[in-house]
Amino acid sequence: MTTNYYIPEDSSLLPPKDAEVITTACDYCVVACGYNVYRWPLHKPSGGIKADQNAFGINFPSYALQEWVAPAQHNVVMHEGQPYNVVIVPDKKTKAVNLNGDSSMRGGLIAQKVYNPATGTRDRLTSPLMRIGGTLQPVSWEFAIEIAAAVGRHVIDTHGENAYGVKTYSYQYIENTYAITKYALRHVNTANFSFHDTPSDVTSTPGFRDAGFDNFGPSYEDWGKADVLMLCGTDPYETKTILFTQFMMPAIQRGMKTIILNPRETAGIAYMKKHGGLHLDVNPGSDNLVLGAILRVIVENNWQDQEWIDEWVNNKWESSSGFGQGTRNTPWQWRTTWGKFQTDGYEDYKKWLLAQPEYSVKNAAKVAAIDPDKIYQAAQMLAKPNADGSRKKASIAIEKGFYWSNNTGNTNAISSLATVIGAGGRPGRVVGRLGGHQRGGQSGGKLPRNKSPEKVPGRRRRALDTDRWTYSGHTRFAHVIGTTWIQSMSGSQGLLKKFWELTSANPHQVFSYDKQEIIDTLKARADSGGMVVINQDIYLRDPIGAKFADIVFPAASWGEEDFMRANGERRLRLYQKFNDAPGDAKPDWWIISQLAKKMGYDGFDWQNSNEVAEEAARFSRGGRKDFNMVKVAAHAEGKTLHQKMREFGTNGIQGPVFYNYDTKTLHGTERLHDTELAKNKEKLKEMGLENGAQGANVLTKKLTHFNSQTGKVNLQKHPWNLFSDFHEWLSPKEEELWFSNGRINEIWQSGFDDIERRAYTAQRWPENWVEIHPEDAKKRGIESGDQVMMYSDRVAAFKDTLLGIDSQNFQFGELLKRGHIELSKAAVTAVAIVTPAVKVGVLYANMLDMRQPSNSLTARVVDNISGNYNFKMGVAKIKKIGESKYKHEYRSFSFAPRNIV
Amino acid sequence: MKKDRSQQTTKEHSDCMISRRKFLLYSSATVAATSVISLNLFPGTAQAKEMKAQVTAYPRIKIAQMSQLKENQPFDFQYPDKGPNSQAMIVKTGVKCGGGIGQGQDIVSFSYICTHQGGPLIGQYKVVDEHRVLGQCPFHLSTFDMRRHGIIVSGQAYESLPQVLLEVEGDDIYAVGIMGLLFGRTDNKLAG
Repeated sequence: MTTNYYIPEDSSLLPPKDAEVITTACDYCVVACGYNVYRWPLHKPSGGIKADQNAFGINFPSYALQEWVAPAQHNVVMHEGQPYNVVIVPDKKTKAVNLNGDSSMRGGLIAQKVYNPATGTRDRLTSPLMRIGGTLQPVSWEFAIEIAAAVGRHVIDTHGENAYGVKTYSYQYIENTYAITKYALRHVNTANFSFHDTPSDVTSTPGFRDAGFDNFGPSYEDWGKADVLMLCGTDPYETKTILFTQFMMPAIQRGMKTIILNPRETAGIAYMKKHGGLHLDVNPGSDNLVLGAILRVIVENNWQDQEWIDEWVNNKWESSSGFGQGTRNTPWQWRTTWGKFQTDGYEDYKKWLLAQPEYSVKNAAKVAAIDPDKIYQAAQMLAKPNADGSRKKASIAIEKGFYWSNNTGNTNAISSLATVIGAGGRPGRVVGRLGGHQRGGQSGGKLPRNKSPEKVPGRRRRALDTDRWTYSGHTRFAHVIGTTWIQSMSGSQGLLKKFWELTSANPHQVFSYDKQEIIDTLKARADSGGMVVINQDIYLRDPIGAKFADIVFPAASWGEEDFMRANGERRLRLYQKFNDAPGDAKPDWWIISQLAKKMGYDGFDWQNSNEVAEEAARFSRGGRKDFNMVKVAAHAEGKTLHQKMREFGTNGIQGPVFYNYDTKTLHGTERLHDTELAKNKEKLKEMGLENGAQGANVLTKKLTHFNSQTGKVNLQKHPWNLFSDFHEWLSPKEEELWFSNGRINEIWQSGFDDIERRAYTAQRWPENWVEIHPEDAKKRGIESGDQVMMYSDRVAAFKDTLLGIDSQNFQFGELLKRGHIELSKAAVTAVAIVTPAVKVGVLYANMLDMRQPSNSLTARVVDNISGNYNFKMGVAKIKKIGESKYKHEYRSFSFAPRNIV
Repeated sequence: MKKDRSQQTTKEHSDCMISRRKFLLYSSATVAATSVISLNLFPGTAQAKEMKAQVTAYPRIKIAQMSQLKENQPFDFQYPDKGPNSQAMIVKTGVKCGGGIGQGQDIVSFSYICTHQGGPLIGQYKVVDEHRVLGQCPFHLSTFDMRRHGIIVSGQAYESLPQVLLEVEGDDIYAVGIMGLLFGRTDNKLAG
């Protein structure tokens, strides 16, 4: 069993033949590998090494790729109050995702996630806490809920719904997200609502959305079917590990070529380069120019996929029907009004593209600091027809390094590139995001955007920016669920200071044992312009819980309740409960239901998570992970939704799910925008869709067409000048370097509970780190293992909530001129890793170490158009402040480069 | 022979993690077969904690000679037996390594079997500047840092690469134990 100090053990337990087998999937990244939990009572003997003595049915020692139990894959849990052994290992027999039982380090160690007070999990929250006399102290659920509801009710009644802010994860299981959004959006009905990774409730990839692409249309199989795969802003081995090793890597070995846009070379990129991959190591924020230049080369050579364009791109009249998105009154209308993105089809787009001087190969290569030849090479690889006139099958995948650099401009440009080369709606020719966290969002309400006081030029309201709203003191009650809020937003040190002013520095603090007096004190805080904070989480987070929360609710999560969720190919599975939640911890849906009832809202009388899932099912209809028909089938068979989902085990089923009433069978959807499925009568018949949707099935156009009014793609302009003033202002001056940040394989999407608590993980990545190129390091006298200070005195922060009137009002240069941008100082320490794997002139740090948050240094300025942060964009100076203890010891950390092949 | 560690600081403890080797040696001297001993880690600090470490007694096998090891040329052997997944290597790295023996503390020994899914790391020894890495594993690309007790550099394995513990006697090098569990085994020592 793991302790805080990693000493490898040299033996492990095997589950006995009669151990219970409970299926689940990994809690962490979007890929969601299938796992089996083997459980047997502590007092019963473990399995033996002979095939007939253990649950795997094989002899040990086992051979390569066979089952094995690493010491860290065993734990002891409580189940119905009794101690049990559990062994949690990837499912070797699964037919989906992690074929052959592959696993990442994160998932491989997931047995260490479960609560066991003898391990690093001992600080799980086990009881509601109330801050009395400055200290968080255990109280009963009833006491905590009553106070939270009374103060919340008062804030809504006195200061309006928008004074009640909800900041929540978007992904931690369908049952929870449904309950949270039903509460916040349908009942509280606040516009002051946003998810964990953006300050406002907006789409992550505006360009995809406007083109008509779903973020998660492709299947994992698709990513290995192309002749050439372009990857933007990610190394899919570093993140999405198993998608890479099981689907892309075999294809690369068979000859699939790759093109990667990324400022950094990690293990997967090094591997791809070794197999003929082309690495465009672009400067942060320059992707738009590079893509424009690639497009220009393609267009100038007439390498576009004209057949595809003729059939699938909206022409002038089709585009005008609300930018291909419907009638005038659509969320897209304001963009059309500006006329900045809309084209009349390919020829019009081509004309625009060739007229933009910034897309010359020379200019793009200069700003991106890459060899111009690479732009020509990329264009050829993607689009130059073969000698026989046939086309290469090309697919495009994007992720955060790309769409969090120039959110709108980059996603517009990549959508246009995809369309011009014929990617988007055929096997081996797909476009999509690879994803971050799993897809567990199911909305139970709609954001009341018209209540947002912010307006963009034109007529449209803009989803409220909860950071700026809070910064201005308008959030009187902050309800924070499963996110650090502060460190995970940009320019985070400025945000932290404001939180402190609104909470800790407010004179109204609780020093009473009396419930009414506590309520009155917190009401007085809100009324005085301060803020009351309630926080739901599995661990106490610093500072949101530890310093600012007045009430903390302990949450139960993975393995402690039956939950449903989908992965990055829309694959839905049941994540089963296999152990007791610690102490009084409760799932978030339950916490919300108790609070909602006390607030006086109806419709929260659920008895268990299946009831929540069954209610949520009907709201999933028409969505990419529509699972309503699973419920219909379940009920037809006299089962519950969760029972039916359990039958799918680790294989799950891909949404949207259809039910064939004739054959009484459920059918998943392999890919969205499947233009070839429309011609496949046999398959449609099998799915029960031969003559359209039967019964309760909901068939939307995205199954066989694109998400636009016409079902065709909108080919968009991707103007650089919406972003260029910011890029120019930000570009490093004097001693500054670009400051970017991102994920790392060993702690990807798992940092919320493993980095500080799992010995092996903590040993590998004990604290914040930054990669710096040897040239930059040498100039500053920095060596690997040195402790460094990264600092800046120009961290830009957009601070006000505005009514935009003139079309330039939200442009960075204009905001700066009009005094809406505040410049502040920030500093973060890290351990230096000197490596040629990062580009000269670029610093690359861990995306989020909660103790040394990188986001302190990134600009708190939202994308001009979308309202998302461009988290990857910052600048910083760096200097050595000493040597870290890791420099001269050999126990933890590693300074070996990640790109050794 | 067991050292009194009650006064040891964290730093001293870290320093002496040349050392997991010694850690095992101290332990194995006090017991004859598999047994459980108590250790106090981080004494005198907030993290001070009694923990149990399970230690298996290993065979002492001569595997190589100092005089025959050439810099950065791995020498292959099997340990602790000739059974499945016992392939291992010893190498003189030319740089100081955690658990290294010899004058330069640069001789280390590791299992060749990846702890992720049992992939063979034979032929994957890499020298890049001052770094010494085993990998990428041909199966799923994990790499391991041989200067830091086989910790993962990049990849998928959830245990360090097992390090073979060494002792020197004159010119002879002996394998005397393993830190970590060999892939595929439930105990490094085969039953029966």
